[in-house]
Amino acid sequence: MKRLLALEWSKISSYGFFRVILILTLSLFLLTVFVFSRVDISVPGFTWRNLFRFPDVWKSFAWVASWFNLLLGILVITVAGNEYSGRTLRQQVMTGLSREEWLAGKGMLIIALAIFGVAMVSLSGLIFGFIYTGDLSTGMIFKNTGILLVYFLQATGYMVLGLLFISLFRSNALSIIMYLLYFIMIEPILRGLCPAEARSWFPVKIISHLTPLPEFVQVTSGDAMSANQLTLEGMGIMPRQLDSTTTIIAALVYIMLFASITYLLVKRKDL
Amino acid sequence: MILETSNLSKSYGPIKAADNISLSVEKGAAFGLLGPNGSGKTTTLGIVMSVLRPDSGSFRWFDREPEPALYKRIGSLIEVPNFFNYLSLRRNLEVIARIRETDMGEIDRVLDHTGLLKRASSRFDTLSLGMKQRLALASALLGNPEVLVLDEPANGLDPEGIAEVRKIIIEQKALGKTIIMASHILDEVEKVCSHVTILKKGNTLASGKVDELLVSDQVIVVDSGDNEALKKGLMEKGLVKSAEIKGGMIELVAASGVSTSIINRFAGEKGININQLFIRKSTLEEQFLELVK
Repeated sequence: MKRLLALEWSKISSYGFFRVILILTLSLFLLTVFVFSRVDISVPGFTWRNLFRFPDVWKSFAWVASWFNLLLGILVITVAGNEYSGRTLRQQVMTGLSREEWLAGKGMLIIALAIFGVAMVSLSGLIFGFIYTGDLSTGMIFKNTGILLVYFLQATGYMVLGLLFISLFRSNALSIIMYLLYFIMIEPILRGLCPAEARSWFPVKIISHLTPLPEFVQVTSGDAMSANQLTLEGMGIMPRQLDSTTTIIAALVYIMLFASITYLLVKRKDL
Repeated sequence: MILETSNLSKSYGPIKAADNISLSVEKGAAFGLLGPNGSGKTTTLGIVMSVLRPDSGSFRWFDREPEPALYKRIGSLIEVPNFFNYLSLRRNLEVIARIRETDMGEIDRVLDHTGLLKRASSRFDTLSLGMKQRLALASALLGNPEVLVLDEPANGLDPEGIAEVRKIIIEQKALGKTIIMASHILDEVEKVCSHVTILKKGNTLASGKVDELLVSDQVIVVDSGDNEALKKGLMEKGLVKSAEIKGGMIELVAASGVSTSIINRFAGEKGININQLFIRKSTLEEQFLELVK
């Protein structure tokens, strides 16, 4: 395990593109939440800044962070894809690395990147939370932090799907295009062709629903009207969704499925 | 036995890249895989290095079923040097050293050995083709593996580079390493290898010791008053291994210990005049071309 981590580190530590994507993700995320925090919506009875208070800040930030998961997915495609196109994977196998070990190394990279994402959300969430929250009882600070784990799962899902695409297509350009198309066109079209009750069960739908749009009506109203009719679903703004436990279980199943297909592709194909 | 393959076959669509290839390489041998481009050398090596899956057949390394970790004992260079473009030479070798679990101190040693130490911090994509090839050789030598599998090791090198690479390979051979080398250059195989298998279009044409298979026989050319009678006489007497009449002259390969003067005397005894008698050295290239025709 230590050997594989050190191996991955040797490959990426001086790779410029890798650093650029990480810095880009981090700065775009920080800029986005900063800009959002400055938005001034003055509707009587609704306070925008509630979205940045403990404990709601966790859900808001996890949701914003989820926009950048595609970048992490593309990063994984590129890093793994370089090893296909430069045939360094082939050389590594000839040098004594098993295909399973190679895949395990990529798994560790994915986990490390997901941890990076969680750290990004946690630290910025803490900072904004402290700034915007008047009542700083510890119970409030750590409430809802479970969403960080869910975000971790989501980022992992995006990246594992990226790994699946590059193992299938073996070309960076094609994999990135297919990956993005799958998210923005292919799956939505397929969903549209399916009956309504099946639509919530598609992988991208499930994985992106892990960090749902915050219930901003409810939150900004300060929970004053603790009524279910203020949920986005209840008001008909969002379609009916699966509950969070079901979504998490389904996402786990999909991630394991993607990982298994990737394993078979890496194991079986010529290098 | 270091490597044994039995009936390895692999097709790409209608093209049989390797057809029933069986080889065996003994410990300490320098084994050549000779053949023109597209004869199946790289496919065969790719299969035994576990990066290509054979359609049928099997192989064993070190008398064991192949398993990934076993390749740590084998230094390899197949086709072109494959390295991370954006990493320095040292970093690239670090990747190899981590896989092979060898001492990082080895890296500078092999870089020095291949004359690349000065460039250790350069990015791989700034190297010339010849230097890339040398780095590949350095990487194959990293960790002092007991077997070297080299595919066209002199590819892209200038004459000086070829000589250096050959020197390194011969050095490794002298250290008791087993060398498995594919090449389309006969001279390379002849200078390095003790055993050879000749491939053509995926098929094995010939296999054996280099000095038996690719022996550079002297051809004696004779023109006499009666070529037919002389040829017949020489063959009956057992003075020649082979003889044929080509372009009005006898081309013969003499039996061992038979010199031109013996042939001259024999003709005199038979009363046949010798008009011309000379030795022509047939080149290995000619024999190779003859074999793969």
